[in-house]
Amino acid sequence: MNIKKLFMSGVIALSISALVGCGAAKDEAQQPVASDEKAGAEQTITYKVGTEAGFPPFMWMEGTEVVGFEADLLKAIAEAGGFQVNLQNTGWDPLFDGIDKGKIDLGIAGITITDKRKETYDFSDPYFDAKQLILVPKDSTVSKLDDLEGKKIGVQSATTGEAVVQDKFGKTYEGIKGYDDIPAAVDDLLNGRLDAVVADNAVVKKYLEKIGDQDFKLIDDTSFELEQYGLIVKKGNQEVLDKVNVGLKAIKENGKYQEIYNNYFSE
Amino acid sequence: MWDWSVVWDYRELFVRGFFNTILLTSTGVAFGLLIGLFVGLGKLSKNWFVRIPSSIYIDVFRGTPLFVQILLIHFAVIPSIFDALNLETPPAIFSGFVALSLNSGAYIAEIFRSGIQSIDRGQMEAARSLGMNHKQAMYHVIIPQAFKRILPPLGNEFIALLKDSSLLAVIAVNELAYAGFTTAKSTFVRFPPYLSIAVLYLFLTLIFSQVVFWLERRYKTD
Repeated sequence: MNIKKLFMSGVIALSISALVGCGAAKDEAQQPVASDEKAGAEQTITYKVGTEAGFPPFMWMEGTEVVGFEADLLKAIAEAGGFQVNLQNTGWDPLFDGIDKGKIDLGIAGITITDKRKETYDFSDPYFDAKQLILVPKDSTVSKLDDLEGKKIGVQSATTGEAVVQDKFGKTYEGIKGYDDIPAAVDDLLNGRLDAVVADNAVVKKYLEKIGDQDFKLIDDTSFELEQYGLIVKKGNQEVLDKVNVGLKAIKENGKYQEIYNNYFSE
Repeated sequence: MWDWSVVWDYRELFVRGFFNTILLTSTGVAFGLLIGLFVGLGKLSKNWFVRIPSSIYIDVFRGTPLFVQILLIHFAVIPSIFDALNLETPPAIFSGFVALSLNSGAYIAEIFRSGIQSIDRGQMEAARSLGMNHKQAMYHVIIPQAFKRILPPLGNEFIALLKDSSLLAVIAVNELAYAGFTTAKSTFVRFPPYLSIAVLYLFLTLIFSQVVFWLERRYKTD
């Protein structure tokens, strides 16, 4: 018994020190990295920005770095808006949670502006227009959303793709399969476990390009509304919102936005 | 933040999740017991042809995270096997069942092995001196005694597997955790759905530990 107790206290001590160690390391990592020229000269505010880097071409991980259309856009907005950013791949749920709790100032992750979300968060001006597409195997007879009745439909959880399918077939419709990311859903479509995937146009196109699979076709259901992406802040955080909107407006006017857009979405 | 109506709105997911969790865990443990018994005996075998594969199986499934096993089995192993056999790929719940069975099989094998090894050598010697062969002695003398000793760790394994089945949410199996995640993600309300599934998991584990307790008393000898 004594040996057991001794062992247990050893384990507890070890885990506590490990936890403390992790916490310390994280704090260091979160220290804003001051840009070389500006350091010391003027104090610019650094905002913590959360994203979900599993959403190419908007945001993805390249090695340990978060890259993509939104990463470049964010940098340009920050530069034009006069602030600095510390971008972190928090994941989708922790992103919203972090904003709720004030741990994250700003979120950019292909977040569609919806009335429901507006109840909880404030959105910047839109920076991207998106549309839902239905992805089906080439030999499928499906030509519109209605045709998917009774079929298995893959979506990314908590995205607009899920919402349109839920609106159509019911919130708890058994055929809705909610995945953490779109590539997993497309893989299951490829494996024959799903009949269709409903997701944002840019993401689906990019993934198809990557896997180079020609056995799919994309269906553009005209009943889907056009959606707009915005950056989110905690409700009432006007200070951050204003800076973002100023930066976004500036890069749209000076052509920087178009330049970044063309880098990622040249048709 | 405390909007409980979302749980009611998505109740079908929770009900389906509740039963799928029970189904997945019990079939997982049932097949795990079967695998575990053979692999556990296999690891004790004098024949290296049986012993080494058993050891490798246990090492692999105990030595890698269940989460990774689920992803590999669902996205790689099962699609390629069924593709090679020219069969339709089974739904995600089948991948979940395979992953849970294989994983619990490895743990249960070690539980069986330790149970068998804990029986005094004299028992085997006595049975053999009564004229039983090794198989008969195992079946009539060693395993019944070992079974009593392995009941508590077996109960542990069942409870662990019940909780670990929540990892299947990642492959979109509609079990309890999936119901909680989906509701929380879709409604931005987190506490009620997560608390609901926590209570339901607790309810299941409490019931099951009572069953194990009752079995333990029933098979008590002294």
